[in-house]
Amino acid sequence: MSKRRSAALTEAQRVSLAQTLLRERLCHQKLPDRPVGLDSQYKHLLELLRRTAVHGESNSVLIVGPRGSGKTMLLGCVLRELMSLKEVQKNVLLVELNGLLQTDDKIALKEITRQLHLENVVGDKVFGSFAENLAFLLEALKKGDKSSSRPVLFVLDEFDLFAHHKNQTLLYNLLDVSQSAQTPVAVLGLTCRLDVLELLEKRVKSRFSHRQIHLFSSISFAQYVDVVRAQLSLPPDFPDPKFSEEWNHSVTKLCEEKSVEEILKRHFNASKDFRSLHSLLFLAVSRVSVSRSTLCEADLLEASRLISADSKANVLHGLSILELCLIIAMKHLNDTYDGEPFNFQMVHNEFKKFIQRKSHSIHKFEKPVVMKAFEHLLQLELVRPVDSGVCKVQREYQLMRLMLEHGQVMEALQRYPQCPTDVKQWALSAFG
Amino acid sequence: TPRHATPSIPSRSAPARKPGNVLEEARTRLHVSSIPESLPCREQEFQDIYNFVESKVIDGTGGCMYISGVPGTGKTATVHEVIRSLQQSAEQDEIPHFHFIEINGMKMTDPHQAYVQILQKLTDQKATPDHAAALLEKRFGAPAPKKETTVLLVDELDLLWTRKQNVMYNLFDWPTRRNARLVVLTIANTMDLPERIMINRVASRLGLTRMSFQPYTFKQLQQIITSRLNRLKAFEEDALQLVSRKVAALSGDARRCLDICRRATEICEHSGSQKNGSGLVGMSHVMEALDEMFSSSYIAAIRCASVQEQLFLRAVIAEFRRLGLEEATFQQVFVQHQALCRVEGLQPVSVSEGLAVCQRLGSCRLLLLEGSRLDLFLRIRLNVSQDDVLYALKAD
Repeated sequence: MSKRRSAALTEAQRVSLAQTLLRERLCHQKLPDRPVGLDSQYKHLLELLRRTAVHGESNSVLIVGPRGSGKTMLLGCVLRELMSLKEVQKNVLLVELNGLLQTDDKIALKEITRQLHLENVVGDKVFGSFAENLAFLLEALKKGDKSSSRPVLFVLDEFDLFAHHKNQTLLYNLLDVSQSAQTPVAVLGLTCRLDVLELLEKRVKSRFSHRQIHLFSSISFAQYVDVVRAQLSLPPDFPDPKFSEEWNHSVTKLCEEKSVEEILKRHFNASKDFRSLHSLLFLAVSRVSVSRSTLCEADLLEASRLISADSKANVLHGLSILELCLIIAMKHLNDTYDGEPFNFQMVHNEFKKFIQRKSHSIHKFEKPVVMKAFEHLLQLELVRPVDSGVCKVQREYQLMRLMLEHGQVMEALQRYPQCPTDVKQWALSAFG
Repeated sequence: TPRHATPSIPSRSAPARKPGNVLEEARTRLHVSSIPESLPCREQEFQDIYNFVESKVIDGTGGCMYISGVPGTGKTATVHEVIRSLQQSAEQDEIPHFHFIEINGMKMTDPHQAYVQILQKLTDQKATPDHAAALLEKRFGAPAPKKETTVLLVDELDLLWTRKQNVMYNLFDWPTRRNARLVVLTIANTMDLPERIMINRVASRLGLTRMSFQPYTFKQLQQIITSRLNRLKAFEEDALQLVSRKVAALSGDARRCLDICRRATEICEHSGSQKNGSGLVGMSHVMEALDEMFSSSYIAAIRCASVQEQLFLRAVIAEFRRLGLEEATFQQVFVQHQALCRVEGLQPVSVSEGLAVCQRLGSCRLLLLEGSRLDLFLRIRLNVSQDDVLYALKAD
């Protein structure tokens, strides 16, 4: 008994250890040892930053790529390698800004001053007005020179948001410093907008060096599967080699499975970015437990089902029969009048016709009840008013639109638990 | 701000490394920040500004000058050079001494900060904008014997615009006072700025002394690079010519030209290790650099998009063709998208997935979208021309 118990405990520890490791990788976006498929970009960026750090050359560069394409990851890897150089370690100042946090130049300037530890910082507070801060910072940067002062790396995440600041003062000044013989700086922007240069003012644009590093992944499906395998495999330094060997073997086998390949293909077709892949794998990995300590096909199937489920179809499954009837009525109205907006009265009439024609008394509801059901649909935003202004019109006569696709309604109806046959027939019959 | 804080960036433990080889040396010289002693191709403008300022300094009068030109045509650099050489002759007592102050509209948070900065640079005292304006008014208005001439450079003039235009008015009004001895040089991008944004009394005080800097021609650009390299053999002749012709055709921006050359030296350095060429920057390197900096990335983005994203773009175009409009709602496009999926033998996507695909394309601005709260009824437009999309999709 005690022997089995201790074995089970170690099993639990192993599984939890493996899960911690994978979770770190999948949802904490742990930096990989080397970015996959970005070798040339990695080299270019590293070389550029190395020259700023070592030679004191000022540079500016934009890293552009769709969301989830690994911009921050690339930069993180480059900075990690850069900081490991002996020459660089204590000679570089790093300032990190984010367009979502530093929403205007005032805040951004305080943050820069704070991160640079300039002299007008006392403790964690920055003193002086906005104008004084700017003057102080520019003066500080101007005093420095190429060979003797420490290079500053400015990292501007969500660069496009900085372009919306008033007059683009911050960008102008940072780029101007990078174009004049002052403290060496490197301005690194990260953005997902391809048209980011068009947002810049002419004089700001002229000062930008027009270096762009694009991160478009052109990986093939085979490479994608390799990435999946690598992401799920346990590293060689896992404490229990036997367990990790088993695990890795099962992962390799899993990736060769036909149905798994289909799921991955579907995800690959939808988007190539690794972030959505990570969320899929994370759902699969979190289903691993002590009783089933290896990843199996069913886990991935379930994860894929969860991820690709249509959100509105799920909402439809939770509606009452009456609400469903109203949706069908609206669908018929849409079909008859070719997508013209409708109001509650029309829906109610359509519904009444249905009841009179075929239904038994079970669907007979008073008008207020129907109205309540309609309002519930309104709250779920399955129907929306055409003009969202203040409603001067009575609620019955306000024009509405159905926010559902034809196919969505039909599919939901097929899957609806215990749907009465007459409702189904009504939905299928064209033109009410 | 603490009273006696001196703004500075900490210094590094070891000085920066000096350039090691020819290409690195070239790169240092080609950096925009390393301004040469004499600016080539701007001799005429230099002379004009020099004469203007010199005559005012010698006569002890004041005046205004308006300098315009597109970015990167050497306006600020030329003025700085004029001041530098004037200061040299002042040191040799050829002309009277003068004071030089520089302000930049982009480097202040508010137009009224101009007063504060001018006052601080003149007398090293701090004041609020209103107080500073009053002090400056007194200084320039009142007669004072043995006053030095002040040369004031105002860069990015258009940002000093306020509703009442009192900052601009003051800047141009002070030189007209009898005792001011103030020369104001203003720089902006557009030629017709005085007519466009200034009210009459401001524009009339600015006067008619104007100068415009033309964009560089390709010969001038070539000369600029050659003079910067200063007999350093790093570039092939043809390569230089290609860069300057390309840049001159587009904008005539010297900064762009230098940046491209710098990038080309980098490319050359990386490719040099593999195949041993002449060690010079050749045509191919320059072509690559030009391609990198000028070519639009939309086509590459479309080519690297996922299958569904490409299908969605095709659906958008198909719907535009059907409607004969350049705009469609998501619902309409989605119907096309599903039809295309069936044609291609792919499993049709659900609405949620379709919307996700659409949002992804919208976030990198291949499509222009309305807010996603509109859901099925959000309107979609293309941000690229249809031809570009078709070209990108067809090429593979």
